[in-house]
Amino acid sequence: MSARDVTPDESSELQGLWQAAKQGDRRALARLLTLAGQSEHKPTLYRLLAHSSPPRSSLVSAITGSPGAGKSSLIGKMLPLIRQQGHTVAVLACDPRSPLTGGALLGDRIRMPVTVEDQGIYIRSLATPPGRQGIAESLDIRVGILEHSGFDWILVETVGVGQGDVAVRDLVDCVVLLIPPESGDEIQWEKAGLLELADLVVVSKGDMPGATRTAAQLQQTLNLPGFPPKQILVVSVARNLGIAELVKQLHEQPRRRHAPERRGQRLLLLAQEILAERFAERKDLVQGVLAEARRQGWDDWQAANELVHWLMTHE
Amino acid sequence: MSSDAMNAPRRGNMNTKNQRIVLAKVGLDGHDRGIKVVARALRDAGFEVIYPGLWLSPEAVVRVVAEEDAPWLGISLLSGTHLVLVPKVLELLRQQGLSHVRVVVGGTIPEEDVAPLLACGVAKVFGPGSSLADIVSYFKSEAYHERTRCNSG
Ligand SMILES: Nc1nc2c(ncn2[C@@H]2O[C@H](COP(=O)(O)OP(=O)(O)OP(=O)(O)O)[C@@H](O)[C@H]2O)c(=O)[nH]1
Ligand SMILES: [Mg+2]
Repeated sequence: MSARDVTPDESSELQGLWQAAKQGDRRALARLLTLAGQSEHKPTLYRLLAHSSPPRSSLVSAITGSPGAGKSSLIGKMLPLIRQQGHTVAVLACDPRSPLTGGALLGDRIRMPVTVEDQGIYIRSLATPPGRQGIAESLDIRVGILEHSGFDWILVETVGVGQGDVAVRDLVDCVVLLIPPESGDEIQWEKAGLLELADLVVVSKGDMPGATRTAAQLQQTLNLPGFPPKQILVVSVARNLGIAELVKQLHEQPRRRHAPERRGQRLLLLAQEILAERFAERKDLVQGVLAEARRQGWDDWQAANELVHWLMTHE
Repeated sequence: MSSDAMNAPRRGNMNTKNQRIVLAKVGLDGHDRGIKVVARALRDAGFEVIYPGLWLSPEAVVRVVAEEDAPWLGISLLSGTHLVLVPKVLELLRQQGLSHVRVVVGGTIPEEDVAPLLACGVAKVFGPGSSLADIVSYFKSEAYHERTRCNSG
């Protein structure tokens, strides 16, 4: 990824959309989120994000859980509660793209209300690349764009954050794991490594038989001596139970994304970008180092180190 | 190479830029079998199909299209209200600066209503005689033309 692929036209179109989105233009926001999925626009978008600070920092939560766990329905009920508190909210509803055809059926919106007048809610369906790595990459920029557009809350719906999905965890402040009643036993949960990734563990469909039992089981699994205690919440969309409590608890979560170590990671990534770009601009140095390496008899390792040194000093 | 490029569809041979389709049912009719079958077929043909559910008002459909930044809107109607609801949707799209969105209508549309619908801005009508294959190949060829237009322009 490097800025050399970006033509001035492209970059100024993005810049226009960026400015408009930041001022609350939802059409521009929608367009930007589309472009964020196209690799050729990523360098410019990363740059725009890094060059400005958001109006306020959003509370970003991932709502995860197995297919059908009740994620969309829960989000659908959280939206009006969040709005009642005077906060704005954006949803990224992710569904995996088929690895075979590239197609996707994005149906999460069925469970969420369509608000015709209210500009304080924005819902976007996303087809995420198959494989775990892809999800994080496509989310990173989009969450940033939404944050700069001024949303107080950002909710990301994704199917199961499993062992490999530590990357998604780093992009959000809080991971909510939804577990439907009677959906397995302790061993399965442990094996999947889901419980340890979750900041909040929530039993869904609390109106169904077995919800209490599942909650008790989880309570037992999670609260072992020597581990920080975790509370299990039970929610029911059907009976409208526990959802206000969940919203309240989310609100009280520490903002992991703004912790110093996360910022450090972000800076490192940006620094790598900048370096990659500078190397791309100074390909001539490679020729010089090659010539010198022949003269001096350097091996590749020495030559590469010399190249880095040259780049830093040939400003 | 970015991982997006590596994960590019193997069989879906289309540019992803123009493959987002909102498929919606407008008006008060509760049958959704037909539209779900179309949604699945289009997904298998490599499209991203956004399905927002039943009983949507024209205002709600347009809101979804705007939020999803979809270049295509497929509306299905079985209730015979197409001559009222479809022009309403088109009008709302225009009002919101979304006239670039191409609208395709499907359902129980009588032959004689096709011309008026096309005249008011509908891109294509799939009446009762249309097959699933017709619909899929229409979107495929439109996406293909769109892509070649983008690449040459
Ligand atoms: N009884 C009961 N059913 C519920 C509840 N919440 C959701 N459901 C049902 O569970 C099914 C799945 O709900 P969704 O909200 O679509 O679940 P999801 O996790 O978003 O599913 P995917 O996005 O497909 O992974 C639907 O039939 C819902 O009606 C609840 O609180 N109680
Ligand atoms: Mg869902």
